[in-house]
Amino acid sequence: MRKSFATLMILTLLASTVLVGCGGEKGTFQFYANGEDFVRQGFVSKDGWAITFDHVYVTLAEVTAYQSDPPYDPHEGAQVQSRSQASLDGTHTMDLAEGGENAPPILVGEVRDTATGHYNALSWEMVPASGGPAAGYSLVVVGTAEKGGQTVDFTIKIETEYTYTCGEYVGDERKGVLQADGTADAEMTFHFDHVFGDAETPMDDELNIGAVGFEPFAEAAEGGRLDADMAGLQAVLSAGDYQMLVDILPTLGHVGEGHCHSETH
Amino acid sequence: MKWKPALPLALLLSLILTAAVSAHGVKIEYTIGMSVEIVAAYDTGEPMAGGQVTVYAPDEPSTPWLTGICDEGGRFVFTPDPAKPGTWDVQVRQAGHGDMVHIPIGDNVAVSGSTGYTPLQIVLMGACVVWGFIGTALFFSRRRA
Repeated sequence: MRKSFATLMILTLLASTVLVGCGGEKGTFQFYANGEDFVRQGFVSKDGWAITFDHVYVTLAEVTAYQSDPPYDPHEGAQVQSRSQASLDGTHTMDLAEGGENAPPILVGEVRDTATGHYNALSWEMVPASGGPAAGYSLVVVGTAEKGGQTVDFTIKIETEYTYTCGEYVGDERKGVLQADGTADAEMTFHFDHVFGDAETPMDDELNIGAVGFEPFAEAAEGGRLDADMAGLQAVLSAGDYQMLVDILPTLGHVGEGHCHSETH
Repeated sequence: MKWKPALPLALLLSLILTAAVSAHGVKIEYTIGMSVEIVAAYDTGEPMAGGQVTVYAPDEPSTPWLTGICDEGGRFVFTPDPAKPGTWDVQVRQAGHGDMVHIPIGDNVAVSGSTGYTPLQIVLMGACVVWGFIGTALFFSRRRA
């Protein structure tokens, strides 16, 4: 009797262990980076320069999606109150200009066996790459700008580190809802029209008011070429244009059209 | 059924609760009353007339519960399903600008998955704990006997 009782106890404990161990259904969570059509197809800056991009290297680290409760408000800039999170290991340098004009957003990586639920917040860091074509820089923008028969080949290199903490993706579809055995994703979206402005947006729009445009970079070019990092740009741009660039770069990161809180390091 | 007692509270909240979210040129305000009214505007104060509205209910976050268009004043009114208390999410977009506001409706007790266990698992784990106490008591009572 005593033996059977002990057996029953052991079985009960095993059952509860299994139940707890299997607790929560799982799925796969993917992280994408997107430079949007601005990068893939090029665009005309607020001051009339037609810009195309050969490479836009961003180096991403500490990429994490959260089930935030309450929903994260990037305007408050507080800590994400997370019930569950999915983090991507490692540092990843991605070329946002990769693929053709209609290329999809770029898969940065995925995390398997992730708890199901609604991942409604996202954070990542932009850090200097340790090697490769963007070594030493968190952002490298390589392209060509043309206006009125003038051509400027440019390489703009940003060594500054940024942290972006964002709320929910705002766009055509809702992202981040992970169901059992399913796949969900989050997108790190980069708005390069913030830097150069957009001729198709009204000039009195805040986007264009805050954008540097391309003219200051063209004026700094020598022999149709500009190759400079932030230290170099500080030397060749006017103080006002340089400060505008410093101020606008932290607003590069978005989640679709959704806003992010950013910190500069 | 839980909705009816909550209505007077919601009406009271409509007098005192107005939250604002602004981002990237967009501000969405909402007011909770018998219905929920949102007002979307650019940072300049210009209403988002014709802004695309998508409403998500708390129980089905990946499927729009309602879609619509803001009126000339950037307003959009909807009446949440009283059987679905919780956080209702409303997204407004127009011409590359957009934002999402999260609106608490009803008695949101936020029980959904916070512990990561299903109700069945919680019940079984509770039963295991009780059974453990009983088993321990029986074990010691038998030793004394």
